[in-house]
Amino acid sequence: MRKTVIGILGLLCITLCYFTFVSAEKAFRSDWKLPQPTDAMQSQYRLVLITQELEMPFWKKVGEGAEKQAQQEGASLEVWGSYGNQEDFLKKIEIAIDTKVDGIIVQGLDTESFKNLTKVKAAFHGIPVITVANDVPMSESLRRTYVGSDQYQAGKMIANQLVQDMGTEGTVILLADAHQEYYQKQRVSGIQDVLKSYPNVRTEYAETPDTREQIIATTRDLMNRLPDVDAFIAVNADLAEAMLLEVGRRSQIEPYHIYSFDDGRESLRLMQQGKLDGMIEQSPEMMGQISVDMMLQWLRGETVPLDMNGYLTEIRMLKAMDAQ
Amino acid sequence: MNSIQKKIWTLATIVLFIMAAIWGALTYYNQKTQDQYNDILQRYLRMNEVTSASQHMIASLNNYLLAPTPDNLELLHASKSNIQRAKAEVSELQNVENAFAITSYTNLIDSLVETTDRSLLFQSEKDSEASSDAFDEATRISKYISEMTLTLLDTELKTYDQFYRGIIEQSQELKKTGVLLLLLITFLLLLFTYWFSLSITRPVQKLTLAAKELSRGRFDLQIEVNSNDEISFLAKMFDRMRVNINNLISEIQQKAQLEKELQENKLLLQESQLRSLQSQINPHFLFNTLDTLSKKAYLEGSEETSDLLVSVAGLLRYNLKRLDRSVTLYDEVKVMRQYIDIQRARFTERLRLYADIDDSCLHVQVPGLTLQPIVENAVIHAVEPMEEGGVIWFRIIDGGERVFVEIEDDGPGMTKEKIKQILEEHVVETEGHSTGIGFSNVVKRLRLFYGIDDVMDIQSDGERGTKVILKIPKTRGIDSYDKAPDRG
Repeated sequence: MRKTVIGILGLLCITLCYFTFVSAEKAFRSDWKLPQPTDAMQSQYRLVLITQELEMPFWKKVGEGAEKQAQQEGASLEVWGSYGNQEDFLKKIEIAIDTKVDGIIVQGLDTESFKNLTKVKAAFHGIPVITVANDVPMSESLRRTYVGSDQYQAGKMIANQLVQDMGTEGTVILLADAHQEYYQKQRVSGIQDVLKSYPNVRTEYAETPDTREQIIATTRDLMNRLPDVDAFIAVNADLAEAMLLEVGRRSQIEPYHIYSFDDGRESLRLMQQGKLDGMIEQSPEMMGQISVDMMLQWLRGETVPLDMNGYLTEIRMLKAMDAQ
Repeated sequence: MNSIQKKIWTLATIVLFIMAAIWGALTYYNQKTQDQYNDILQRYLRMNEVTSASQHMIASLNNYLLAPTPDNLELLHASKSNIQRAKAEVSELQNVENAFAITSYTNLIDSLVETTDRSLLFQSEKDSEASSDAFDEATRISKYISEMTLTLLDTELKTYDQFYRGIIEQSQELKKTGVLLLLLITFLLLLFTYWFSLSITRPVQKLTLAAKELSRGRFDLQIEVNSNDEISFLAKMFDRMRVNINNLISEIQQKAQLEKELQENKLLLQESQLRSLQSQINPHFLFNTLDTLSKKAYLEGSEETSDLLVSVAGLLRYNLKRLDRSVTLYDEVKVMRQYIDIQRARFTERLRLYADIDDSCLHVQVPGLTLQPIVENAVIHAVEPMEEGGVIWFRIIDGGERVFVEIEDDGPGMTKEKIKQILEEHVVETEGHSTGIGFSNVVKRLRLFYGIDDVMDIQSDGERGTKVILKIPKTRGIDSYDKAPDRG
């Protein structure tokens, strides 16, 4: 009897002890992962990559490449940007300048306010600017260099592909947006330079405001005017989707030769659906990497000055059958 | 220090220690949590402070630009130092997660200050357009600061999300721990107190039981208390007391025994006195009658009968007189001879007595009537029943410190049981008749008289002959016998 009582009491005691200690351990343990305060970061270069279209796969890849490179080099990099809103985008640039980052890598925007920011304000604060993917001429933006595809070359490539697919005879519609951005001009001139040598190929260059309805309207108008059109090239990749929608509404898409670039929101999807016959594929990750690398080289004084003409990344033609 | 006191102190100290430990832990924990809360709040407050400081600065700048008075300038400078201080505080908040943002933030503040300075510079140079441009920029930067503050706060919330949840979980866990701890301590204390109180009360209980037993008169139970405090000391003392009482009681009992024996002796004495008194009834009449008879016998020519009557009268007188006083052996021998004379008248030739007496021993003191009953016994057992009579040898021998008186007969002897009975002073049923003073009476009186036990030997082979040896010391051990009242 006495032994049983002692046993029960002992068991009770041990159980209580156990639960108390487990509970106390939980209550007093403090393994919260608080961010470590740091001074080492002070010496790192602070870079900002600013783009207009944060959500786009193309720009995401650019960001990834840049971040990878920055991490390798021990620089801190943040990717800022807007979701297709120019005002926001410009504001971000201004904030970047005001926060005195060491370098700005930016998607070129061929507008006055952009140029004003880079040329005047960034230069005033002595902050180097590198344009990436979309260039703005050096003389207008005071950029240190450009990293990205040779857009002129890309235009030529797409035109060559077109001729190869369509033959040396036909009507081609070049659809660009109304901003007349530098990279688009380059692409157009590349295309036109190729097609010039084919007198039987008629090119129709059209510009459209970049709202969806207007793109559709412009496309409809163009097709009305040129019912015998054979090919479309969306110079601005963002226009491709709406354009295709209108084309598809009119007739089958298959007979048309439709080309675009990979830096549009829907480019990859359209390609996979087979709606595009060909697409220029650029190397966004390389762009990110090289731009960060160049920026750091410039900041460290390893390569001064940087190549004005830019560091070109690889481009290749992606045909519909490759994508499928 | 006393042991029980020490125990109580120990208990109190342990309880106090446990309480202090828990209190300490809780206080420490509380303090830690409080500090953490403060830190967190501080972060938010500091960031918010930057926003308000920047807005305040813009307001001051605006005021100054509108009305460039020294007062407003003073205010502007004040707000500038204010924002610098805020900036310094904010820069302390930097960590791995937000290093970039915080640096940007502080740089933005720098830009604000620079732009403000620029605006002031242009103002002093009367370039009001440039000044206003700079002011616009400053306003914009201030707006950016506000926005960035919100972004930073947002980031903070995300970064510290886990941390905040951890704090909440911990505080909930702490409640549980508190309850469990309370239970545990209560349980342990109850156990400990029970054990502790037992260690005090159990010896007391034992002691109480022992006292109860003692009060019931059981003094033979050992009191045993196994503890290491005063109770054990008390128990030891108690036990010693018990032993002492036990000893005293047994002593008293011994004394009582002695008293009882003494009482018995007294009774015996009184009985014999009574008997002697009874036997004194009108002895003189008897003596006178015997004398008359003796004279008459003499006158009638029967000299022998006359002598016999004289002997009887002497013997009777002696018998009545000497029973309770000491006499010399000589007197005893004389009386014994008178008795033999009387018996010889009866048994004539059948009774033969051979006496061998050392005269130098006749002066020793003996109680009266010691020899006569033994001789009488010999006559009764060895002579009377025998047709051819019997022989009695009577010797008094000097044995150094003692005088040996031997009475030997050639009768049928005595059984061992009888000898034992006699020597152990049991009342022996006498066969036939005697003068009334028995054998054992003699033994008793001799022992009382000399104060020693070894006074008589009886040798008999149980078939033939009995030899009674009286061993009489030449000097008496006690003399109380003499002091008995003389009733002669």
